[in-house]
Amino acid sequence: MSALAADALTMFQREILRYRRDRAYWLGQIAFPLAFVGAIGFGLDRVVVLPSGLGYASHLASGVLALLVGSGAVGSGFSLIEDRESGFLRALWIAPVSRASLVLGKLLARLTVSLALVGVLVALLGLVTPVRLAHPLALLVAVASLTAIFSALGIALATRLRRLESFRTLAAGVTVPLYLGSGIFYPLATLSLPVRVLAYANPLTWGVDLLRFGVLGVHELPLALGAGVLLALACLATLLAIAAFDRGAL
Amino acid sequence: MGALATTPAVEARGLVRRFGERVALDGLDLAVPEGICFGLLGPNGAGKTTAIGILTTLLRPSAGSARLCGHDVVAERDAVRRAVGLVFQESTLDPELTPREHLELYARLYHLARPRERARELLELVGLAADADRPARELSGGLRRRLEIGRGLLHHPRVLFLDEPTLGLDVVARAAIWEHLRALRRSGETTLFLTTHHLEEADALCDELAILDRGRAVAAGRPEALKAALGGDVVRLRLERDLGAQARLEAVEGVRRVAREDGAEEIAFRVTLPDGPRRLPALLEAGRACGVIEVAMSRPSLEHVFLHHTGHRFADAEEPAQEQSG
Repeated sequence: MSALAADALTMFQREILRYRRDRAYWLGQIAFPLAFVGAIGFGLDRVVVLPSGLGYASHLASGVLALLVGSGAVGSGFSLIEDRESGFLRALWIAPVSRASLVLGKLLARLTVSLALVGVLVALLGLVTPVRLAHPLALLVAVASLTAIFSALGIALATRLRRLESFRTLAAGVTVPLYLGSGIFYPLATLSLPVRVLAYANPLTWGVDLLRFGVLGVHELPLALGAGVLLALACLATLLAIAAFDRGAL
Repeated sequence: MGALATTPAVEARGLVRRFGERVALDGLDLAVPEGICFGLLGPNGAGKTTAIGILTTLLRPSAGSARLCGHDVVAERDAVRRAVGLVFQESTLDPELTPREHLELYARLYHLARPRERARELLELVGLAADADRPARELSGGLRRRLEIGRGLLHHPRVLFLDEPTLGLDVVARAAIWEHLRALRRSGETTLFLTTHHLEEADALCDELAILDRGRAVAAGRPEALKAALGGDVVRLRLERDLGAQARLEAVEGVRRVAREDGAEEIAFRVTLPDGPRRLPALLEAGRACGVIEVAMSRPSLEHVFLHHTGHRFADAEEPAQEQSG
């Protein structure tokens, strides 16, 4: 095993230790989507009629899963700022650890946590909506790609920002528009043409569509194209995150 | 080992480091033999942390060169990093991880053969076995510092750098750290290189010192030699009558200087001499004819050495350092 892979695995284990210990985090991450789907999804289920015939609660349930994966991944950048503030990063550099292995370890841990959360939520949402493990491979590709892309975004922001507060504000400023224009909340078919063109340029749109196919079996965009675009973007984002982190003054 | 034993653990020549306009190091020379505890003593801002940064490859020198166990800190960065351990001034712990998890994590990152066993050894060595499974955020400052020292020692470094190892610790925790560092020093496996602005600490721990002021080493040597170079101890004798006391005291073997205190109504002399405690009986004998009323002795401390070499205002007119400077 190469040193990079071994170090990435070690950093992965450290991240997992931290996640495992944080019970409040898991409770919040599971309760939020359930509350969201319960209050808004079912509240609008009778009011909103989707062109596809899908119930709004199901549409939102699948969208919220993508939201969860994306925002969780942006949190990787947040944890990087925490690591810098606690001084933890300084000691890593003197132990000859490459920055790439730290980034890969964080990505891998984030992916593991996202898959676990999605698994639990699919089971729970499946009790009240048609959400199920319809196409596991599509779901895996969607979750992995969204994790890589949004982690890269978070890490790139973290390398440029000193303070946790500025990170939170800027991360929200960047990601909320992406979420809103992505098909999480409304189907693309209902959007006007200019907005729809914008939505196609949003990687989250493709991720949401593939993820929705994974848990409901329905999709609005070409699947193979979507998966290809997402995987390519994920690889590119990972390389960019490593490069940004290498240059960032941490 | 013959050739290796003569290689200094740390060797620096004319190290300069500028941060923009500010000159943090201004031509630092150092030579630290292997196996000792070496101290870089200086006030805040003297350049101590900068020096450690360069010697551990975290910073590049603006000019000059340095070698760690024979490896150049710029050209052979990886070899230097394997040879050194570093305990930072600030905490570098993950508050959520326990001491055991920290040590196992770093043992893996250093690619050590048996990470778990090595972590357990270090927990014993720095006295953290009982607190091995509490998250770092629950540990006291002293325990946290000991964990950092344990981490610095994991990979058997030949030189362990400690930047202000007891900064911010209370007296008890500081004493415990000193005890651990002394034990390390006795084991002889690792050269210790520490910075401190704490004079007592330098005196208590270090075999050799360099005194750093404004980026330069103004004095270097064994603490005892540095103190002795000031001229030695000062004995103050208060007498009933003069009766040629000056000449009588000057005649005592080893006496370097005798000065009568002026301005006072009482008759008092200050005698500077090395090895004061051993020569005190002879001084008393010499002063007997003049009727010794009172005798007091003060020994030079590193504070006097420091003040003497840095040229700052001397703190206390009663101290021997001032006599020497006059």
